[in-house]
Amino acid sequence: MRPSFFQHLHPPTIPAPQARLRYTLGAGGLSLFLLLVVILTGVLEMFYYIPTPERAALSIQEISFLVPFGGLIRNLHFWSAQFLVVFSLLHLLRVILTGAYAPPRRVNYLIGISLLALILALDFSGYVLRWDNGVYWALVTGTNLIKTIPGAGPALYSLAVGGNELGAPTLVRFYAWHIFGLALAMAVFGAWHIFRVRRDGGIAAPAAARAAPRISRGELVRRETLALLAAAALLALIAARVAPPIAPSIQDSPAALLTESRAPWFFLWVQHLLRLGDAFWMGVALPLAALGVLAALPFVCARQPSDQAGRWFAPGRRLAALLAGGMVLCALILTVLEALQ
Amino acid sequence: MINRRDFLNLTTKALLWLSGLLGLGGLARYLSYQPPPPPPRRYEIGAAAQYPPGSRTVLAEVPALLTRTDAGFQALSMVCPHLGCTLEYKAEAFECPCHGSRFDAQGRLVKGPAVEPLAALTVEQLEDGTLVVIKS
Repeated sequence: MRPSFFQHLHPPTIPAPQARLRYTLGAGGLSLFLLLVVILTGVLEMFYYIPTPERAALSIQEISFLVPFGGLIRNLHFWSAQFLVVFSLLHLLRVILTGAYAPPRRVNYLIGISLLALILALDFSGYVLRWDNGVYWALVTGTNLIKTIPGAGPALYSLAVGGNELGAPTLVRFYAWHIFGLALAMAVFGAWHIFRVRRDGGIAAPAAARAAPRISRGELVRRETLALLAAAALLALIAARVAPPIAPSIQDSPAALLTESRAPWFFLWVQHLLRLGDAFWMGVALPLAALGVLAALPFVCARQPSDQAGRWFAPGRRLAALLAGGMVLCALILTVLEALQ
Repeated sequence: MINRRDFLNLTTKALLWLSGLLGLGGLARYLSYQPPPPPPRRYEIGAAAQYPPGSRTVLAEVPALLTRTDAGFQALSMVCPHLGCTLEYKAEAFECPCHGSRFDAQGRLVKGPAVEPLAALTVEQLEDGTLVVIKS
């Protein structure tokens, strides 16, 4: 039987050990599924969202409470986006701990790091689009952080904000980046990332896997569909029961009501860092350095025996595991410390 | 002496590089447009009589703290000089809810991560006695 386009995206067979959930955690595939949900629900929201300071928050209230199924669409968009951050980080951790960043997968690893940066940028820009008093301080702080960059700071601030201060140009620029600039980059890098998985020889495996039993493309697609349905059901359940935050528009809030001073959850660690020292070094340089350490991993920790690729926690990769685990632990501790403030 | 083929090759590359750089320069100029800065904002806060000597009033719209002493009016900006959050005024001191900076009643820095004291805003009195706080 001739394979469909979807089936043809998969190799004819893959080694059975590589297809096991216990090995990959399915985190990459889940991330792809969540990305599709976030894009679809985002496109639907575009029919009702209005990117002006006076109407943005109101249009979101309209979607949440008046449009039939609008609440579901908005909730799905929010939850799939937040879970996307979680699962792509889980996927990154899995890739590092199984050594799947080593050549020939180095380029794909770097593409993946870029995707992570894009996901965070998309999450933050989407957060700002609410333009309500819950996001106001994150917006003020985030854009003022750009100003602290030595040299290019004020110019970059103007570029981000569309002028000297926050206003309608800022909202429209964030909207354009969110629905087009970043989304386009995401689509290109995402497609390239998936292409490279096959091009680089599939999911990383030790050399001994060549003799392992293999499962067919049909079986793989069947398993993926099952996982997809399970994830969709769980996501729908969460989206139906737990609503994302919503607040009055910035324009309608007297200064006294602008009291929510928390960063979005994925940047709470940066907010805590900002309490500890200079704004540029703590808020810009350190996070970028963390990203740099992640990106440098395949170059610094490249050497590993061929039988250790594709195995969890192999002894040859202690440094990478320690670095990655250490960074995740630090970020978690900082997040908890900030959440307790 | 350079031959014709190499000369033409070199010239082509040089011209392409030059036009590329000019294009990038034009792009940078296009993106660097700055609208003129907005005029200083004026907040009319009512008659001077509303603020008796010795009073300290938080003006939420500015945001600022207006102090009236025998010497006159002083307005301290309540925008945190660290990253722009609005300060809270409690027990004769200012605290920032975003990253924990603290300032004393005169606006001097007590605890970081801010590195500057609070800015002083100009207070004007109009002919009819109304006070105006000016924020540039």
